[in-house]
Amino acid sequence: MAENTIALASFILTLMVFSYLLGDVPLIGNLYRIAVYIFVGMTAAFTLIVSYEGLILPYLQDIQDQSTSWTALGWRADIYIFFTALLFVLLLLLKPVKSLTWLTNSVFAVVIVVGASVGLVGALTGTLFPLLYATAALPEDFMTNFSALVDTLLIFVGTMTGLYYFHYQARAGPDGSEGQSRVGRGFRHIGKVFLVTALGAIYASTLLTSLTILTERIGFLFQFGA
Amino acid sequence: MSNRTGRGQGFGIALSAFVAFAVGAVTALSLLLGDNPALFGDQPGSAQLAGLLALPADVLLRLVTIVVALSIVIGIANLLTTHVGRLSRGKFYSAVLLASFGFTVYWYVTRRGDTSLLEAVQVPIESALAALLCLSLLHGGSRVLGKRADIWGLLFVAVAVIVLLASTPIAELAPVQAWRDWLMRVPVGAGARAMLIGIALGTVVTGVRALLGQDRSVRG
Repeated sequence: MAENTIALASFILTLMVFSYLLGDVPLIGNLYRIAVYIFVGMTAAFTLIVSYEGLILPYLQDIQDQSTSWTALGWRADIYIFFTALLFVLLLLLKPVKSLTWLTNSVFAVVIVVGASVGLVGALTGTLFPLLYATAALPEDFMTNFSALVDTLLIFVGTMTGLYYFHYQARAGPDGSEGQSRVGRGFRHIGKVFLVTALGAIYASTLLTSLTILTERIGFLFQFGA
Repeated sequence: MSNRTGRGQGFGIALSAFVAFAVGAVTALSLLLGDNPALFGDQPGSAQLAGLLALPADVLLRLVTIVVALSIVIGIANLLTTHVGRLSRGKFYSAVLLASFGFTVYWYVTRRGDTSLLEAVQVPIESALAALLCLSLLHGGSRVLGKRADIWGLLFVAVAVIVLLASTPIAELAPVQAWRDWLMRVPVGAGARAMLIGIALGTVVTGVRALLGQDRSVRG
């Protein structure tokens, strides 16, 4: 496609998306929806192409090639894995058949649970243990560098009280009312300071990113118009 | 009759829960212990043992990857079927979606390796939508502050303003940049860690629920 055609298409589509700002004006209001539907159709097509070319086709080629194997079990096991996966997909398609619900649920359970196991192991080894270790570790020069020690303690207090903020245990008072203890409420307030600060910084960072893209788009519109 | 149906459902749930627990436990243990010979010390054959323990996860992950890839194709087929149905009821936007899908596939099949369609259509729409996010964020932020003008709202805005001011290239604002660096390193780091650890704990709990067959998706 020629450079000019790409630029013209980009110009028109950018204006169509920005027409959202004009609200429900007759005819113009439809332009945004048309752009979004074009986007969805194209994304679906690219997803189909990528999953076929990136996953299904290589798998189909691999099971025909005796010199390659996915696992230590050898080439023949690859064929069994591939056809078991096909069988699973066929069983998932039979979900509307009520008498086979027990079978489709079992297949569904395998898919969900393998994903959950990967998530579980990933959360433990990739997030939870490294973050807990980093939070509890003292700086190497903490005897001489006082500000580093204070920062580390602040991070520790912020992380722990931030976690405590999500803890909703209440206990009954002498008059029968339910609520948190004063210490608990204090911890929650300290945790909220750190959480609100983090959310404010995340909000500002997202705003900066989208502002950069907005200025680039407006710059492009002016450049093309000129 | 209903008693028999109830017994059948009970059997189905028990079977799903059993399959979930067995497959989940094998996968999790295989991922944790497999391909890690250091766990077994200097014993002879520790590398083979570690490889053997990694095998179940290897097979199950490969199986699930193929199932997910084929499910994506089925999902897209479902999307197209739905829009063909809507088109027959005279919905104009479904025609746009189907035409866009068909044209993209045709373009890809006839001009392999040509990414100009991606540059001309996909990238501008994505960029323009991301640019609209800026205005939506500003609108949402002002609404939150208008409705909740308390100490927490003020703290939120103060932090956002410091981060925004510090990103401007004005020499007079150098002290604000030092504040921003400290803010990002200490309080924001602590708050983000608390959120990430909370998410990790939630993932662990959800994973264990699925492994025990207690999740709704597993029970059916």
